[in-house]
Amino acid sequence: MSALDHAFACMSASDIRAGLAAKEFSAREIAESSLARVRALDGATHAFLETTEALALEQAAKLDAAVASGEADGLGALAGVPVAFKDNMNLAGTHTTCSSAMLANYVSPYTATCVARAIEAGGIPLGKLNMDEFAFGSSTETSAFGPSKNPWDLERVPGGSSGGSAAAVGAGLATMTLGSDTGGSIRQPGSFCGAVAVKPTYGVVSRYGVVAFGSSLDQVGPFTRSVADAALAMNAIAGRDPLDCTSQDIRTDYTANLDAGVRGMRIGIVPAFMEAKGLTAEVKAKVEEAAEHLRELGAELVEVDLPNAQAAMSAYYVLGPCEAFSNLARFDSVRYGYCDPGHKDLGGQYEASRAKGFGAEARRRIMLGSYLLSAGVYDTYYYPAQQVRTLITQDYARAYEQVDCILAPVAPRTSFKFGEVSDPTDMYLSDMFTISINIAGNGGMSLPVGLGADTNLPVGVQLISPQFKDESMLRVAAALETVYGPAPVAPLFREGADFKAPATIPDAADAVPGVDLPGLATESDVPGGVHQASSATERELSERLGAAEVVAAQVEGEAE
Amino acid sequence: MTQHVTEHDVRDIAEYTRIGLTDEEVAQMTVDLNAIIDSLRPITEYDLEGVEPTFHPIGGLSNVMRDDVEEPGFTQDVALENAPKQQDGCFLIPSILGEGGDR
Repeated sequence: MSALDHAFACMSASDIRAGLAAKEFSAREIAESSLARVRALDGATHAFLETTEALALEQAAKLDAAVASGEADGLGALAGVPVAFKDNMNLAGTHTTCSSAMLANYVSPYTATCVARAIEAGGIPLGKLNMDEFAFGSSTETSAFGPSKNPWDLERVPGGSSGGSAAAVGAGLATMTLGSDTGGSIRQPGSFCGAVAVKPTYGVVSRYGVVAFGSSLDQVGPFTRSVADAALAMNAIAGRDPLDCTSQDIRTDYTANLDAGVRGMRIGIVPAFMEAKGLTAEVKAKVEEAAEHLRELGAELVEVDLPNAQAAMSAYYVLGPCEAFSNLARFDSVRYGYCDPGHKDLGGQYEASRAKGFGAEARRRIMLGSYLLSAGVYDTYYYPAQQVRTLITQDYARAYEQVDCILAPVAPRTSFKFGEVSDPTDMYLSDMFTISINIAGNGGMSLPVGLGADTNLPVGVQLISPQFKDESMLRVAAALETVYGPAPVAPLFREGADFKAPATIPDAADAVPGVDLPGLATESDVPGGVHQASSATERELSERLGAAEVVAAQVEGEAE
Repeated sequence: MTQHVTEHDVRDIAEYTRIGLTDEEVAQMTVDLNAIIDSLRPITEYDLEGVEPTFHPIGGLSNVMRDDVEEPGFTQDVALENAPKQQDGCFLIPSILGEGGDR
C-alpha cells in the first residue's frame, strides 16, 4: 500500500478514531503515511515549515499501546487525528518562527496550551505551518520563508495570515490544524481554501504560548473539513487555562446540538453587508443561496443593522498596531531571536537587529503604534477607537436581541493571484466583514459552500455568534452542511496526486536553538523577489486605509 | 494630505522603538506613516460624546493570582539556550558604559 493511497489526513476525525479503536489500522500507520504524504505533496503547497516526526511517532506509540491494552474506550476525542499548528504556536523542541527572520533561529523551550490540549486529546502532531510574518497580512506573501500556495489553484494565495493552516487542511495534508485570528486571519484563508474555519469568542481558547499580535483581539481556533470535526477540536482546546487570565471556564460540548437543525432559529442578514461595494456577484449569490437553504430548513431570516460596522476598519488599524507595538517590543536581540553581529554598543545592536529581523510590514506597524500611543496623539486616535469599540459591541448586542446567529460574507471575493494588485476597496471590505467581530469579541466562522460560479474557487459564508454562544454558529453550520456536504479535499490533492517534486521539509529532529530553520526565502525563491513582495504589502496597507473613508461614505450613502 | 509626522519625528520614533533606519528608509517611512495616519481620520470624526471606551472585548475580567507555592520554572540552561550570546550562565551584551555606552 502506498502512503499516498491511504490518505488518513483526508479522513474525518471521528472515522480515524473509530478505525483506530477497531484496529483497522494503527496509529503508527497514520503517522508514517501522513508524514509521507506531506513530504510527497507539500512541495506544491508549502504549507509546512517543519515536520515533527519524532513527536508523531511517540504519540502514535502511546495510542497503539492504549489500543493494545484494551483502553480503546479511553482514547481522546482526537485520537489518531493528524494535526498541525500555525508557526506562532510554541511546541517544545520545534522552531517557532512566526515566519519572521527575527525568530528563524528560535526553538521553543515550552508548549502552548492549545497545542498541548490538541495533543493530549490524541492528535498526532505532523508539524508547524507557514503564515504571514507575525500574522501581519492576508496572503502569506509576507512570510520570510516564501508564500504558501492555494491547494485549489497553485497560482493563487491561500489567504492569511493563517494561510498554511488553511492550505494544509484544504490539501488533505492534515485533518485538523490550528490558526489564530486577529482581524480575519482564520476565516479569510478558510474561505479561500475551502476549509471550515472557526474564530471562537475571545476568551474561549487560551493564548498561552501563542506569540501575541493584538492581545485584545487575538484568538485561536481550528481548521477542519467538517463541522463535526471543528466541534471536536473546540471541545479539545476550549476552556480555562490558569496561564492565560483572559481564558474563561467553558463547559460547552460543541458537538451537542449539531443535529438539532435550525427550525425556529432566527438568522440575521445585514443588508449593508449584502449591498457593500466590492462584494462580487458570485460570493453574494452564495450567501443568498445559503440564506435560502436556511429558510427552507426552517429558520426565520431577519434583517439586522450594524450601523457602526464600517468604523471597525479604522478602529482596527489603530488598536492593532498599538498592541503590536507593545507586543513586539520584547524582541531585543539579547534573550532570543536575531542578533546582528559585531556591535560594540548595545543601542547599535538593538537597532540593527530589529531593523534586519523585522520585515517592512512589522516595522511599519511598530512605528505606527508607537506614534498613536504617544502623548497628545493618544486622545486623538486610541481613545476614540476604544469608544468606537463600545458602539460596535452595542450594535451586536442589539442585533442579538432579534437573532440567534448572523449570516454574512467572509471575504468579498475568492482567492487572488500572487502579486495581483487587488482593488483596495475589495480588500477594505474583505476585512470589514471579519474585523468587527474581533473588535466586539464574539465568535465567527467560515463554512465552505462550494465553488463560486465565476471563478470556480472555494467560497465560504460567515456565521457570527453572540459572545460565548459559539455552539449556535456551529449548529447553523452543521445544518448548512447537510445541504453542501463536508468540505472536499482540493482536486489536485486527491487520490493519485503526484507532483513529482517531493518537498524537502526540515524536521524538528534537527532543530538547534540559535540555528536558523532552513528555508529562509531569498530574492530568487519568490516571483518578483522578496523585496517586491514586501513593497506590494506596503502599498496594500496604505491603499486599504486610504480607501477606508471613501468606502465608509459609500456604505453610509447606500444605507440612507 | 496632512503632514502628521515629519522626518524628524520619524527619526525620534525609530530611536524610541529601536529600529535603525537609513535616511532613505526614514523618508519612505514618513510618507507611509502620513498616508496611514491620514486614512485613520474617520475615527476622529465620530460623535463620541459620553461614550465609554471598551478596552477589553469581554467583560467581567479580574486579575488572577496563583497560590504562593514554589513551582519549577525554566532552568538556567533552558532560559539561556536561545540566547544569541552568553557567558558564565548570563546573557551577554555589549558594554553599556564608557565608549561602548548606550546612546
